[in-house]
Amino acid sequence: MSDSPLRLLIDRLDIQVPHILQCIEESAGVEREVEGLLSRTRSQWVSLDTSLVVFGSLARGEWTPHSDLDWTYLIDGQANSDHLTIAQEIKEVLEHKYVPPNPQGAFASLVFSHELIHKIGGQDDTNRNTTQRMLLLLESVAIGNRAQEAYERVVRGVINRYLEEDPRLLTKDRTRYKVPRFLLNDIVRFWRTMAVDFASKQRDRGGKGWGLRNFKLRMSRKLLFASGLLTCFGCTLDPDAHPPEDADIDERRAYLVRYLRNQFCYTPLEVLARAAILYRIPEDASVRLLSAYDGFLEMLRNEGIREGLDVLRAEDAAKDKHFEQVRRISRDFQSALDVYFFENKELSALTKRYGVF
Amino acid sequence: MLNEKHADAVELSALREYELPELVSALPSLDLSSFKYVSFHAPSTMNAAFEPTTVELLEAVVGRGWQVIVHPDVIVDWELWKKLGQYLCLENMDKRKAVGQTVDQLEPLFKALPEASFCFDLGHVRQVDPTLTEAFLILRHFKNRLRQIHISDVNSDSRHAELTIEAMLAFKRLAPAIPPTIPVIIESRVSESQIESEIQLVREILDDDNRGGRRTPNLTQAISA
Repeated sequence: MSDSPLRLLIDRLDIQVPHILQCIEESAGVEREVEGLLSRTRSQWVSLDTSLVVFGSLARGEWTPHSDLDWTYLIDGQANSDHLTIAQEIKEVLEHKYVPPNPQGAFASLVFSHELIHKIGGQDDTNRNTTQRMLLLLESVAIGNRAQEAYERVVRGVINRYLEEDPRLLTKDRTRYKVPRFLLNDIVRFWRTMAVDFASKQRDRGGKGWGLRNFKLRMSRKLLFASGLLTCFGCTLDPDAHPPEDADIDERRAYLVRYLRNQFCYTPLEVLARAAILYRIPEDASVRLLSAYDGFLEMLRNEGIREGLDVLRAEDAAKDKHFEQVRRISRDFQSALDVYFFENKELSALTKRYGVF
Repeated sequence: MLNEKHADAVELSALREYELPELVSALPSLDLSSFKYVSFHAPSTMNAAFEPTTVELLEAVVGRGWQVIVHPDVIVDWELWKKLGQYLCLENMDKRKAVGQTVDQLEPLFKALPEASFCFDLGHVRQVDPTLTEAFLILRHFKNRLRQIHISDVNSDSRHAELTIEAMLAFKRLAPAIPPTIPVIIESRVSESQIESEIQLVREILDDDNRGGRRTPNLTQAISA
């Protein structure tokens, strides 16, 4: 955290965001706890060809005491029927301690690297595969220092696959990378999918959980989308993304893979903080953004409020005092994002060019 | 055996600790006059107690002006290895090893051994990162230290194996970034009857004129002894 752009921005702005900081600290603690738990109960649970990857609030550094633990057992190696047994054992250990993810969702199971790398778009790219792939890039962490290899290979493999589909990586003057359109389109598609699925889940669950899901869609899901856009825009705007001289397309792609990999190491909030510094976003917008997000996490950390939002139905939202707070926080958050994407000269030009058509 | 294959580079290997004294003592009797380039692979596993003896034996190899290929994970006493100077040639590692796989991992090793040169193992780097991102970064970063290439496929058991089409496709992408004067040592495990065809495959990879108009290199190849 000491060299995190988020920490840097918080210090520069001299603002109090205690809930953001507490969630970061608790996330780091839970990561260590998960590793310790598995190491104690299942020795040698990691290998060079497998990684335990966590997503969601834990990977974003936004863990609260009520968070569920989204995970997958990622395999990048020879197929082995024992992998299912290992995944089931991991599930048993984790579900004994933490809230399990939605059983109909994309987590708590095996995932193979081939699906993630090869099936981008087309009939075989299911909602589940898209979700796993996008979250692998936008919000994921591999648990345990000894189990990073498979995870790293797959993340780079996915990024590389996106870039391989872009025939020209450089701008016309060849001094900068272009925005990687294939990757950007998938990030945009994922955001729209999340928004559409919100309505679908609303129907499937008869309105149950509407308030909480609505709040998350307005905040953490939107943050994920914003961070993805900024990462793609950074390819052309960020001085760290400069292409090497005298390189052919394969080497240029390698450098862009590295840039994107480094950016995807940041949590979404860190991506926004880094962009605020890099693109000189006005301080009042950054304050608004971080304060709104701190308010979001404060509400999620409050068990009573969280439970109230979880049972809140759409038809009752207008009269609910906590949902009024949700609206205020999410309006502030959106207005800060508007400054990033519509008022900043560099970013707004790219938003117009790539964000809609 | 290699003379008939038109190879003009060879790497002598004492991969096991017990092989080293015998091979070093045999060096004066070996006729290597047909090779323009000779290198020597140090043991890949070593008892730390044997380290001073190993370095002492390798000093005799260095005296011949040969590069000594060393796996960085065997080094315990870094000062000791400095004696080999520019002839100490560190190799990048496969995914089983905890050090020496990536630019970030290699950088501190070369800081500790500032004179050391570099042997780039293409099979290892492709196993660590099939996208070859790390390969390009390593090549650019350690270009001035590069003295030789190891080439082969590396199978799922992390063993060197004969070249496959996947490995060839990958290495062809890397070829334009490899200076044509760098000696190439083939580490594929093949039978004697396959040596010629394996050399041809390596020529096909590194002579590929379709990629960036690379000129035909003055290729030096050999089968690792």
